Amino acid sequence: MTSPPPDTEPALIHRIASGDGEALTRLFDLHSPVALGLLVRILGDRAEAEEVLQEVFLQVWTQADRYDAERSSPRGWLLMLARSRALDRLRRREARRRREEESVEEETRLDRIEPDGTGRLEAAERKSRVSSALGVLSPEQRHCIELAFFEGLTHTQIAERLKAPLGTIKSRILLGMNKLRQALSTS
Amino acid sequence: MTPGHSTRHEELLPAYALGALDGGELRELEAHLAAGCEECRRLLDLWQGDVEELAASVEPVEPSETTRRRIQRLAPAPAAPAPVVAIRRSPVTRWAGLAAAACLLIAAGSLWRQAQLGRQLDQVGADRDRLAREVAGLDQQLGLARAESQRLAESLSIITSPDSRLVQLAGLETTPQASGHTFISPQRGAAVFYASGLPASEPGKTYQLWWIQDGKPISAGTFDVDEQGSGNLRVENVAPPGQIQAWAVTVEPEGGVPQPTGTMVLKG
Repeated sequence: MTSPPPDTEPALIHRIASGDGEALTRLFDLHSPVALGLLVRILGDRAEAEEVLQEVFLQVWTQADRYDAERSSPRGWLLMLARSRALDRLRRREARRRREEESVEEETRLDRIEPDGTGRLEAAERKSRVSSALGVLSPEQRHCIELAFFEGLTHTQIAERLKAPLGTIKSRILLGMNKLRQALSTS
Repeated sequence: MTPGHSTRHEELLPAYALGALDGGELRELEAHLAAGCEECRRLLDLWQGDVEELAASVEPVEPSETTRRRIQRLAPAPAAPAPVVAIRRSPVTRWAGLAAAACLLIAAGSLWRQAQLGRQLDQVGADRDRLAREVAGLDQQLGLARAESQRLAESLSIITSPDSRLVQLAGLETTPQASGHTFISPQRGAAVFYASGLPASEPGKTYQLWWIQDGKPISAGTFDVDEQGSGNLRVENVAPPGQIQAWAVTVEPEGGVPQPTGTMVLKG
């Protein structure tokens, strides 16, 4: 890792990589609210999100030398680490839920309820402030992009979840991302 | 731009940055990127920038004091700067003749003494700062050691659990020297995985552990290896061993993927 100019955020990561604890605290103060917001958004559980946030900063502390300033900003790197860890947890939680659901279904047939993820997504939509960039998308495009980003679903999984044709999902994501790009570049 | 570049590749990039690409399209684009298409790499960086903005569009949540304290314990801040020493200056009074000269001499002597004391204070301050840095460094090591110790204790409790089961993973064609061990505690629904002899992951790549249940791979998480080729991972919410047909490790894009796409390096 080459030395970035001083007083920049990449320099903070450089300092963390050389064992500067003050730089880690500074990075935490700068970006932890957004990182925690993202974790809460994905996991829907404040306590679990705080636990993952600590894991993320431990990872930053031990792996800061892996940061590549040419590929992302420190904030972007941090948020992608947070998303990756949160999605891992979400997938394991979903696998466990499926196992439990299968065993329950053998005993009794209960009224079908919305899957956890969808319910949480809708609840979060009601509660959270809708970002201006996402506001330019159609509800369908936004839903597909959020399912991919906040729940880690692929094209095929989104099509299954929404019971929509695969081609439709691909189009919604492609068009939605292009609109998002335009909105972000003009905002 | 590589010879095979097309607008189709460009159209796959937004979904790839979002993590939504799968199946043949994912393999096709990854092969194209691996072939070194600079235009696609440039466009992908732009899309990843947009995805980062999307991540940052969430409503911020202030972390608890407990979390902040834990981060600070992990990496304690250096000591506060040296306290400013107040130097009381004698008031200059106007006296005639000899009295004034005497005062000036006394003042000059006092200034010389103050300068001398100042130099000594600077030296003491420098020594104190050096010691503070050393203490901060030791605190950091202690914080890391504590975190590592806690992690090891948790892992050890899984390995030594009376119901612990061991699954051994063997290296495959590209990594015959590699091996892996998964210790599972069905009672706790947790597992610890250790790998050794794996090559360092390439930039942008990571290792991902899977268990196969009902014929389907379920991600157990991602891990990296150290210079000796060793890595480990603690896994929560593991399925009961009776429901797991196999364990495997594949090479995947950094951050992991919902379904395995890369080369399998360990299986057992």
